[in-house]
Amino acid sequence: MLRFLRLGWRGLREMFLHPWAQLFTISAVTMAAVLAGIFLLLLHNVNQELIRNRGAVEFQVFWREGADMEQVRREWQRLAAMDHLKEMETFTPEQALEGLSRDLSGQGALDWLEEKNPLPASAFLAFNIPPGDHSEIWAKGLLAELRVLPDVRAVHYNPVQMDLAKSWLSVSRSVIWPVMGFLALVVALVVGNTVKLSMLTRRDEIEILSLVGARPWYIRAPLLASGAFTGLASSGLALGLLRLLHLRLEHVLDFPPVFLVISFLPMEHCLLLTGVVTAVCMAGSWVGVRQ
Amino acid sequence: MISPCPVRGKSLANKEEAPGKPPRFTKSGRAGTEFGMVEFKRVSYVFGSSWALKDVSFTLEKGGFLFLTGHSGAGKTTLLRLLYAGLPLHRGRATVAGFELHKLRRRHVPELRRRVSVVFQDFKILPQRTVFENVALALEVRGVTRQHMERRVRAIVRALGLESKSYTRCAHLSGGEQQRVAIARSMVVNPKLILADEPTGNLDADLTTDLMNIFKQFHSYGATVIMATHNRTILNMVPDAHILHLEQGQVAETTLPVEQDEPHTEGLL
Repeated sequence: MLRFLRLGWRGLREMFLHPWAQLFTISAVTMAAVLAGIFLLLLHNVNQELIRNRGAVEFQVFWREGADMEQVRREWQRLAAMDHLKEMETFTPEQALEGLSRDLSGQGALDWLEEKNPLPASAFLAFNIPPGDHSEIWAKGLLAELRVLPDVRAVHYNPVQMDLAKSWLSVSRSVIWPVMGFLALVVALVVGNTVKLSMLTRRDEIEILSLVGARPWYIRAPLLASGAFTGLASSGLALGLLRLLHLRLEHVLDFPPVFLVISFLPMEHCLLLTGVVTAVCMAGSWVGVRQ
Repeated sequence: MISPCPVRGKSLANKEEAPGKPPRFTKSGRAGTEFGMVEFKRVSYVFGSSWALKDVSFTLEKGGFLFLTGHSGAGKTTLLRLLYAGLPLHRGRATVAGFELHKLRRRHVPELRRRVSVVFQDFKILPQRTVFENVALALEVRGVTRQHMERRVRAIVRALGLESKSYTRCAHLSGGEQQRVAIARSMVVNPKLILADEPTGNLDADLTTDLMNIFKQFHSYGATVIMATHNRTILNMVPDAHILHLEQGQVAETTLPVEQDEPHTEGLL
């Protein structure tokens, strides 16, 4: 183990014997990783936006007029704890009237109805569609569950919206991951070839080590260590550059009617990018030595 | 005077081997313990459609000195490359330093190369590393302790007159010095078989004489030496050396004892 660590350390030290070659390799790998990261960022934000705007199904629940508000509030608390709930807005009869009045003709337009408010308590519920092929059954089950709530008079739900949400989710799930896989493959090829080419600068060293009787692991361990370092350094630099880019572009689409705030890659995507680039750099070193 | 083993007199050709046991060959072609002898039986090698070597047979006893001569393209380098498993042996049978090359598996090549040291015309040293680091490389791969390594490297570097350049990068050395570094790296492990491919090819006459003296000294301590050259003047520098003259991949003449049934018994040099 100690010997492997020593060989790894040697690999890192020896990278600086060819500083320019290493610098160019790290630059090339960083650029490839940045390009991949930009695509990933784009896909991530498109996906988020699709799911946010199109991937949910909405229900409007109306209680009977004169229903006990204490009871209705208990129902709201229960609804707020439901699975897959994305958004919930509740309206007491007074809030509903106030909102309607405001929307119709300004503050106080329907003040005369305050004594005999015809509007019931209501709730707007938006649910994320759970993964799987049973979303129709799930939606029907949910509808039935909402309808049997105490004092509920009506539940409005649009099946067309359900279909639309399902279609968007299907696009998101069936396109995003293959595109990400393709992206990973492209990055792997570019990075692998770059690292393999950088091995040419160490060809003499590999040949000499082999001639003096070095075993394959003795030759490979330092090169794998330097491959791992190249991958980590490049992906770290790439993520740093992406973050800078993100900070500059975060609010560039945040204007009416788009209102899109670009979000940065989540942790799992950052780890994926780092892992893929590092693994490919190590694989490139391995293959480079073999050849 | 150069000691073949400047520090302790123990070979580092393969430090796992216990000395004094009889040769022991395995199916994989892995070595026994007796080495320093080369035996070729009807060895051929083809590059594409042309014969690089054809039916080459010879036996070199332990402690011998053999010059491989012949024009460029005669097969000298191919023969040397076969000797250190730089090329796979497909036709014929060969034993080198206790390894049966025709059975040799890839994983045993490093073991063979720990017993056989090679010196090249183009030195094959790492120019970005110091003299010390280049020489120590051969010991490092064998897992020799730092302390032991330093003693051995200092001794061989001193013996070859490179002491003052120990920490100079090889890129800053002259051709003769670089070749001495390459020789020091080969000799520091005290090999029993030294292969040299035109080692004096890039050197002037004075440096050639110096280097030949170094080879002779290691030979006098028991190392077997095979040197490829097309420089006939250096043949006289080692009067007791054997000569194997190749022409178009075949043995044209040799001073080595040749078996009766072999096809190349026309004459001796």
